[in-house]
Amino acid sequence: MTEDKNVVNDYTLYNIDSRYTSEKEKKSDSIALMEARLERMKNLSDKDIKRARLMQLKLIMESYLNSGSTDEKNSFTSFLKKYIGIIYQKQNQFAKDVGITPVLLSQIINNHREPSDEFLMKLMVHSEKIFKDVGRFEKQLWYRVYFQDKISETMLNQNEWAPRIEKEIKITEPI
Amino acid sequence: MLFSNMRIVEASTEKPIPVEIYPVEKSELKLFSKKRYSFDWSSESKFEVYKLVISRTEDALGLISMDRIPQEWRIHIRLIAVSKENLGSGKIYENIAGVLIAYASKIALEDFGEHACISLKPKTQIAKLYMEKYNMKITGMLLSLEVPELLNLINRYDYD
Repeated sequence: MTEDKNVVNDYTLYNIDSRYTSEKEKKSDSIALMEARLERMKNLSDKDIKRARLMQLKLIMESYLNSGSTDEKNSFTSFLKKYIGIIYQKQNQFAKDVGITPVLLSQIINNHREPSDEFLMKLMVHSEKIFKDVGRFEKQLWYRVYFQDKISETMLNQNEWAPRIEKEIKITEPI
Repeated sequence: MLFSNMRIVEASTEKPIPVEIYPVEKSELKLFSKKRYSFDWSSESKFEVYKLVISRTEDALGLISMDRIPQEWRIHIRLIAVSKENLGSGKIYENIAGVLIAYASKIALEDFGEHACISLKPKTQIAKLYMEKYNMKITGMLLSLEVPELLNLINRYDYD
């Protein structure tokens, strides 16, 4: 059977066997690559570092949403704190940029106050502007993270609220 | 699925097709034949293997196996295979390998931030093509993709 030329080309191009046959070869490649990378890393601009960290944060948020799990490290406020920390040297400057007081921002970040709709909208627009230089940014991302937290928190605390709520709920028209 | 918003392209219409990438269970590896996926995938049971499928379908159009090396902030791509019907002039979909490499780049970036790196060691004749196509760098015989080029590759295959 004669395979057409394109199949052979595509086969070579898109079927890659990149496995090592010896540990010695793998180690030697690792050392050479790390040396070269450390040199290149010295030349990374501040802007590229920020772009990488912002994209990393976005990917962590997407993974968090897709995983459905919750922990203290991954929450709306921890992501917000990271976001501000990547872009600004001082948290107050972010507060100024989005038109809220530093006190209010601090209360939100420390979970002493819920973010308002207005704040979430401002954060959405701020992120859209910032991500123009980074990559794709899903508008709803902050909202989705915030509401995932709310859902998890509500379900986690069911024992506290459910007995009282159940007493208050009546079904006057059963189906 | 860890990340969404990736697309391949239908070759005949150039229409973007949403895809999903899932981890492959060890027990599933033996189902991927060498005839269709070029390699013996059952030998990859010690490594992370992912499959690319069109959203809401199950048939794998491409496979990738990778070795996560956290101490070097790197993911080494061991194998990539595009299913046989998607190779050559009669191929149905394009960009399968590119999307799989972009997916490995996302995992590396999520884990290692600005230090992220993916590497692979292809045969000599295609190293140049990979350097051109994916903007990879060469160190000895090893190709690598690092920040900022890694970000550019992710953005190339990411869609709203």
